[in-house]
Amino acid sequence: MTRLRSAASRAARPSGALRAVIAVAASLAVAGCAAGRIAQSTPASSGQSFVQGDYSSAYFSPGSRPKAPAVVGRTLGGGRLSLAADRGNVVVLNFWGSWCAPCRREAPALAALAAHFKSAPVRFVGDDVHDSSTAAVAFERTYSVGYPSLNDPGEQVALAFHGTVPPVAIPTTLLIDSSGHIAGRVVGEISYRGLLSLIDKVLARPR
Amino acid sequence: MTQDLAGRAAGDGAAVDGDRAAVTGEGVAADGGSVAADGVSGAADGVSGAADGSSGAADGGRSRPAGSRLGVLGWLRWGWRQLTSMRTALVLLFLLALASIPGSVLPQQGIDPAAVTQYYAAHPALAPFLARLSGFDVFGSPWFAAIYLLLFTSLAGCVLPRTFRLARSAGQPPPAAPRYLGRLPQAAGFATTLAPDQALESAAALLRRRRFRVRKGAGWVSAEKGYLHETGNLLFHVALLGLLVSVALGGLFGYKGNRLLVEGDTFANTPVGLDVFRPGRLVTAGSLQPFSITLKKFSARYITSGDQRGQPAKFAAWLRYNSRYGGPMRSYDLQVNHPLNVDGVQVFLIGHGYAPVFKVTDGTGAVRFDQPVPFIPVEQSGLTSAGVVKVPDAHPRQLGFAGVFLPTEIDVGGRLASAFPAAEYPRVSLVSYAGNLGVNSGQPQSVYSLDTSHMRRLAVSPRPLAPGQSITLPNGLGKLTFTGYRRWVSLAITYDPGQLPALVSAVAALCGLILSFLVRRRRMFVRAAPAGSDRDGAASEMTAVAVGGLTRSDAAGGFAAEFAELATEIMREVRGEAAADSHQPGGASTGDSHEAPPLAGDLTQAAGAKGE
Repeated sequence: MTRLRSAASRAARPSGALRAVIAVAASLAVAGCAAGRIAQSTPASSGQSFVQGDYSSAYFSPGSRPKAPAVVGRTLGGGRLSLAADRGNVVVLNFWGSWCAPCRREAPALAALAAHFKSAPVRFVGDDVHDSSTAAVAFERTYSVGYPSLNDPGEQVALAFHGTVPPVAIPTTLLIDSSGHIAGRVVGEISYRGLLSLIDKVLARPR
Repeated sequence: MTQDLAGRAAGDGAAVDGDRAAVTGEGVAADGGSVAADGVSGAADGVSGAADGSSGAADGGRSRPAGSRLGVLGWLRWGWRQLTSMRTALVLLFLLALASIPGSVLPQQGIDPAAVTQYYAAHPALAPFLARLSGFDVFGSPWFAAIYLLLFTSLAGCVLPRTFRLARSAGQPPPAAPRYLGRLPQAAGFATTLAPDQALESAAALLRRRRFRVRKGAGWVSAEKGYLHETGNLLFHVALLGLLVSVALGGLFGYKGNRLLVEGDTFANTPVGLDVFRPGRLVTAGSLQPFSITLKKFSARYITSGDQRGQPAKFAAWLRYNSRYGGPMRSYDLQVNHPLNVDGVQVFLIGHGYAPVFKVTDGTGAVRFDQPVPFIPVEQSGLTSAGVVKVPDAHPRQLGFAGVFLPTEIDVGGRLASAFPAAEYPRVSLVSYAGNLGVNSGQPQSVYSLDTSHMRRLAVSPRPLAPGQSITLPNGLGKLTFTGYRRWVSLAITYDPGQLPALVSAVAALCGLILSFLVRRRRMFVRAAPAGSDRDGAASEMTAVAVGGLTRSDAAGGFAAEFAELATEIMREVRGEAAADSHQPGGASTGDSHEAPPLAGDLTQAAGAKGE
């Protein structure tokens, strides 16, 4: 599952062949004839490094839910946010980045779900990893994200979940029940219906 | 029979020697003396040799399975014997080497998924076929695993029984001396005035002093030494097994990752924080060591004059790191070939480059992008680097830029180039695009490439920008400013729990090999009898002493010399004893004063069965 991640969430950073491609592209660019495509290395056609292959959804029943770590951090807006302060609510914690294509595609569904659960005891929180705050704020504006996101360029929140149910790809969505225990995890892009039913399940058995 | 002996001895030169000794054994046996045959074939492999001999003889008829008479159990035993034979082990070793060739010829999914994708594009018919044969995941394929496991079983099946045999043989006394020592490869004889029993006693004492294991019988002494030969042999095989286990450990529990880190940035060792992550089969996100690393500063010094101009003089990356979330921070000065070690994980500095900082304002006048963008070096002498800038949240149009960063820009006949790797005269040249970047579709993209198939190239001259300069895009689409640059490093993170065991195994294998080459297992036999028995009864008080020697594996050579020395010493010892016994002055020379038949003079030495 995790083996496919690198390709799925952020197609590889430098690698030998990629460099060669970039080298060719660069010489074209320098020569001023980079009219067509610069480089194509989207891991799509092989069928082996696909978001679908990455997708997995898990639900933990009460009693087998690991305790979520106490996370406190700055939001993209500059405020302070503590996950523990949301105790009593189900927390949907979404790990994302503005550079991440699957995050962009799932953003409207997340925004719609946040609106759907507006009056329920459900809080949506994002964690923006490996990103710059300017680009992240621009992303939030594009998708009218109505909930706060932690500013986490060094993946420290992801690290805090080490030993519990860690995010294994971008995007990953964790569900934390009202007693502060992790009740579910979706690795890869969420679907509106899939996450909706998972949240309902956790709401039905809140602890 | 020799075939089977060789088979059992699997894996070393000793097997060949075993063969030879066995053949000799047969020859001697055919010659007559059954005791001699026993002695020789026993010496071929000590106690284990005897066991081999019997098992070899036992399946002499079985090694050519005779159809239905064999039965299921017989076939199984035959198969097992074939599998654990040295020949099979060598064939498997060769197959393993052969099977890893496609792994280096074809691109591998776990190592370079982009290359696999390119392969699919270039060979649309062949690629799916190769994929079905695990051609893109050779080292994880069932057939590779099959070879590996068979080799492992073959080695284990060979080594473990041998270990038990050695343990048993270590506790056993040497075999009885053969009757006719003259038939042994090394033989000698001399005469003495000492009584046979006393002569044997003194020879045994000498051999004991020389740390032989000695056994005495009626009229003979047999001694053995050099058990370390077999021990070295076994050490080699066990170490080979250890090496395979170590590799498996690394493959199951180890992982490799890469991360490009810009000055001032931090990353956490999680699958989320790594750019490339290649976990072992049993590695989960939870098994990664939870450290974080911040790159405070990177510096590169280059040679500025002479032939070596532009060559790197020193790279250094100043890191701050902690080994767990919220743990205390420590500093480290990371250099090439001087990795940081955190909880057994090694972090190597494997690359560096420039990350120009761009600030992009979109058509609405809002800043949508302001960050360093790593550019990848495309050549080393001037560190010309290529990269792309994607602004997916620019409005009304998404913006993209592709181009190069030139640390020390020069103009070579209208073409841009970089003359020096240090940033003496940094410039950026970009081509601008507007349209659809393709990222909103959810299809993962490389952050180093720009898909311009749904973008329009903007009519902006790609003239080089100095820090602080801007491109103003046409039609009010926005503005890009090159505000400066930062350095980045590329880190390789490797965790291989099999590394230390592999090193220990390799050293042990070498030690075992050296030991088995240098130490030979050898036997000395001494027989003493009244000389009158086969002479004219002239000297009835004389004793004929025969000395024989045998070694199984004399890879290092020199047993003949050792035997000669030992035999001479035995003679001296025995004759010295004789002199003391008869209270005659003159010591060792006493023997010479006797009227001496050929045997009584100096030591007569014979080689092989031609002795005497």
